[in-house]
Amino acid sequence: MDSVVCLDNGACSIKIGYITDEKPKVIPNCIMKAKSEKRRPFIGNQIEECRDISGIFYILSFTKGYITNWEVQKNVYDYIFSTEFPVNFSDTKLIITEPLFNFPIIQEAMVEIFFEEYDCCAMAKTTAPDLCYYQYTNTQDLDEPPLCCVVIDVGYSFSHIVPFVKGKKVLSAIRRIDVGGKLLTNHLKEIISYRYLNVMDESYVINQMKEDGCFISQDFNSDMANAKLKYPENKIAREYVLPDCTTIRRGYLQPPGTAKKTDDYQMLRLNNERFAVPELLFHPLDIGIDQMGLAEATIHAINACPEETRPHLFANIIVVGGSAKFSGMQTRLYKDIRSMAPEFFTVNVTVPEEPQTYSWYGGQYLANDPNFEQSLITRQDYEENGARGVLFDE
Amino acid sequence: MSMRESGRIKDAEKKRVLDDVTRKRRARKALEALEQDNFQQDPHADLVMSKKIPKFNNSLDNNPRRKGRKTRGADYYRIKYRKTFQQLLEEDRQANPNGPNYITAQSPPTSYPQRHFCAVCGFPSSYTCTSCGTRFCCLKCQGTHQDTRCLKFVS
Repeated sequence: MDSVVCLDNGACSIKIGYITDEKPKVIPNCIMKAKSEKRRPFIGNQIEECRDISGIFYILSFTKGYITNWEVQKNVYDYIFSTEFPVNFSDTKLIITEPLFNFPIIQEAMVEIFFEEYDCCAMAKTTAPDLCYYQYTNTQDLDEPPLCCVVIDVGYSFSHIVPFVKGKKVLSAIRRIDVGGKLLTNHLKEIISYRYLNVMDESYVINQMKEDGCFISQDFNSDMANAKLKYPENKIAREYVLPDCTTIRRGYLQPPGTAKKTDDYQMLRLNNERFAVPELLFHPLDIGIDQMGLAEATIHAINACPEETRPHLFANIIVVGGSAKFSGMQTRLYKDIRSMAPEFFTVNVTVPEEPQTYSWYGGQYLANDPNFEQSLITRQDYEENGARGVLFDE
Repeated sequence: MSMRESGRIKDAEKKRVLDDVTRKRRARKALEALEQDNFQQDPHADLVMSKKIPKFNNSLDNNPRRKGRKTRGADYYRIKYRKTFQQLLEEDRQANPNGPNYITAQSPPTSYPQRHFCAVCGFPSSYTCTSCGTRFCCLKCQGTHQDTRCLKFVS
């Protein structure tokens, strides 16, 4: 069998690897510029070589979850395929993901780039939730794989709730919430800049702070009440030590009052920010986005599916995507969905250990699918019909 | 003999109150800001390329395998596929008006009531600023709000 490369093309990071690999490489999908380093931009994970991580300027190829800046995207691809993950596409098949409801012209551009620039011999387009479905249904320890499942993809640009019935997406039941990792980081940045210290330029640092310091509250009101108390009754408040670009490369969290007087590092006190920010996933209306939260939208999506499939859907809910990494995601989502779901249905919510790369693992099952060869867009096909022809039979 | 009058009413008349349209515009702008990639200027924007500084090739193409083949470079794709998100969305709406598409997939409004939080400290709030409609939770936060944000950036 030919080798197959799976590329999960996320707005924030690209997950790439041969389907036989143990785990994918995760590479930031952006070009970054640093204030101190005027000589070169940093592409992908070159940022690790950058010593001064303050005021990192991001150039992203995605706008609201869709690739609009092909120049940037191509530069990132060039870097990955030449240095970080050298691969010869002329004898390697490619599985690549695209966003749900991808616009036709973007699909066209993607096909054109891979056939014209990277000598691709054959490629298959899919979506990250589809790969999750493959991964989920093939890894359950059951006598029979589940027939239906709901994939909740909490990504960087937005979150999607995608019900699957017998391997097919129920397109009319897909729900999108315009809250994702980027919005959460920006919101955290905004409130910290207003309350304590101006960090509006520090997306990179604040993103790490969000990853390290934020969690999903299990009982929002009681956590709010607790956050009002003074330390040590207050179990929420923490100090976040900011990176100083010399000894501390990445900030970290510590209980309040543990700093010695001799330590001269910069700290930020985090209190209700720690859980009020991820709470937006469950209540977007808190900052004025009039949309349903994750749990409510999941119920809404399942109710849009045929009635006989609903018990199966409720029993197989899986949460993936980078923002699913917040601690407390599984218990909170289970609690909320359980309270809204009909009581005679079983509810199961799974958050895999590695939500960010979970969909990538589905690539191996897709490649072994008997229909895989048919779904491939081959070089011959492309040369005969062009990008538009292979995508949309006109 | 002068009329008796209330100082509070007199003050209230002088006070500027933002109308609904302005408040909504402010809220929309705040949400749009949350979608931004960066808030600062490009740190390399004012960089003047001199002969001494090595110039960077936009394409990182140093793959010997592809030598001799005409490659199109990043510029080609930028020019060919330069539609902005808004244009793509509009096209998609016209080509496929009944969905399911990007617009129909959007989650409907929530059925839960809005919760209010103090704009200053983030705790639940019970008061509203009479001028701009921002929420605050106590006198201290009200003071901070009026000193910093209230009508400072009215547009």
